[in-house]
Amino acid sequence: MKIMNKIVIGVILVTTIGATVVSCSSTKKGYSDIPDSETVVAEEGFKLEKSGAQLWGETCNRCHIAPSPADYNDTDWETISLHMRIRANLTEHESKKIEEFLKSAN
Amino acid sequence: MKKLLVVLTAVVFGGQMYGQTYNTFEPSKTQFMLRGYGHTGFEYMDSGDETESTFLGSAFAPIFLYKHSDRLMFEAELEFVLESDELETGLEYADVMYVLNKNMTVRAGKFLLPFGTFMERLHPAWINRLPNAPLGYGHDGIAPSSGIGVELRGAFDLGGPKLNYSVYSTNGPRIKDGSEEPEEAGILEFENYEDTNLAKAYGGRLGLLPFPDSSTEIGFSAYSTSGTGEEDSEYEDIGAFLFALDFSFVKQISAIGGIVDVKSQFNNSNVDTATFIETHEDGDEEEYSFDNQSNSFYGQLSYRPTMSGNKFIKNLEFVARYSDFKAPEGAEWEEKSTQYAFGLNYWLSWRSVVKLSYQTTETEGGHDGDGLTNTDGLFVHWAIGF
Ligand code: HEC
Repeated sequence: MKIMNKIVIGVILVTTIGATVVSCSSTKKGYSDIPDSETVVAEEGFKLEKSGAQLWGETCNRCHIAPSPADYNDTDWETISLHMRIRANLTEHESKKIEEFLKSAN
Repeated sequence: MKKLLVVLTAVVFGGQMYGQTYNTFEPSKTQFMLRGYGHTGFEYMDSGDETESTFLGSAFAPIFLYKHSDRLMFEAELEFVLESDELETGLEYADVMYVLNKNMTVRAGKFLLPFGTFMERLHPAWINRLPNAPLGYGHDGIAPSSGIGVELRGAFDLGGPKLNYSVYSTNGPRIKDGSEEPEEAGILEFENYEDTNLAKAYGGRLGLLPFPDSSTEIGFSAYSTSGTGEEDSEYEDIGAFLFALDFSFVKQISAIGGIVDVKSQFNNSNVDTATFIETHEDGDEEEYSFDNQSNSFYGQLSYRPTMSGNKFIKNLEFVARYSDFKAPEGAEWEEKSTQYAFGLNYWLSWRSVVKLSYQTTETEGGHDGDGLTNTDGLFVHWAIGF
């Protein structure tokens, strides 16, 4: 088990360093910058960007039944979005787009 | 009388006006939310020669969420459960989280461990599609559910597919040496709050969502420690390595008019071989050891006819789950169990569900003896989140 322990620690270190390097180097404009549709289209080639509503339907149903926009007010959605982003390990892009949709449709 | 009416009108309207002015305030930057869930139910169990039935004391779990800014947040869950004539209380988790950058968040405190997905994401009563956990979880389970330590987690957009990760270090488990409960010698105990040795547990999970529609996720988790015994004890260097594989698929499929949800997890636990002492009835002591490997598996399929035109049918859900659990041969807690569970749920809202379930479990060995027991159970549960 000593060897497995060393391997696990090694993988953790590599993941941490890797994630830090990638996340720092890929941040072009700094934190919490939602790319506008043009950059997303440019970044992802010809693919069209999904709407917040579509992301909500696909993402928020994965663990529990998705709540409707009307279930909470805007301030609550901000707290819930941050909570879910961390708890469910969502990407910043997903969580921001969905938050925008929920706040616009309640 | 007139005066009273005037006063009452003034109070009612005055209150409303005050309320209205109050509502026009800008929302505050910091926010505190009190959420949580509760559940209660009825169980009937039949294991051949023994039958029992009971209403289950309700469980109440308040959750406190405090958002300080767009990056800093605190979460805590308390748990109150009525179990075997007592009120059990617990602190499920209490941790502070800080978003370091768009791909990385740090958490510290007591948090639910991303060892597979069941304990971290699926066990709350209003999320779990069946009234209980699959075999291998909960009391004497082999999968760690929470830990005290620090964690880094985050997710990457790979332009369609998505990758998420989490790595952590916690105090780690303690091995039961059998001095207090000889029949549990060799079991790893994860629910301890103070570390008794220098060895920490290290672990993590990698999750991949290969398709752009986020329908599918596969995950690999590992958890390891170089020591589980107390410092300077004979078990100090007994290490452990655990891993888990998880799978999830959730998608609305028009051809069958509803949402299909598949969840599955395999856990494997491997603890270094140690020597324990068995005391016979005549007082003689005998040393014994065994290959300390356990595993458990569950697979669950559920279906909700969400596209039905009928309001009642729309809220129904059908569930089937298989689970099994194997505890090491030669241990006092040697066991082989398999369970089939079937359920019919009615969703009153997205967080409130009435569950009806039938389960049949075959157990060979276990704490209660060596023989083969078949237990049939009928459950009615009501869970509500708020
Ligand atoms: C990976 C699983 C997962 C995904 C995906 C997920 N949730 Fe959750 N959600 C949970 C869990 C687990 C809880 C319960 C938290 C607890 O009780 O500790 C929860 C709780 C909630 C709650 C109750 C309040 C709270 O914050 O605890 C809301 C509201 C919620 N989720 C909304 C959402 C929305 C909106 C989405 C889509 C952006 C989403 N969830 C996606 C797992 C998930």
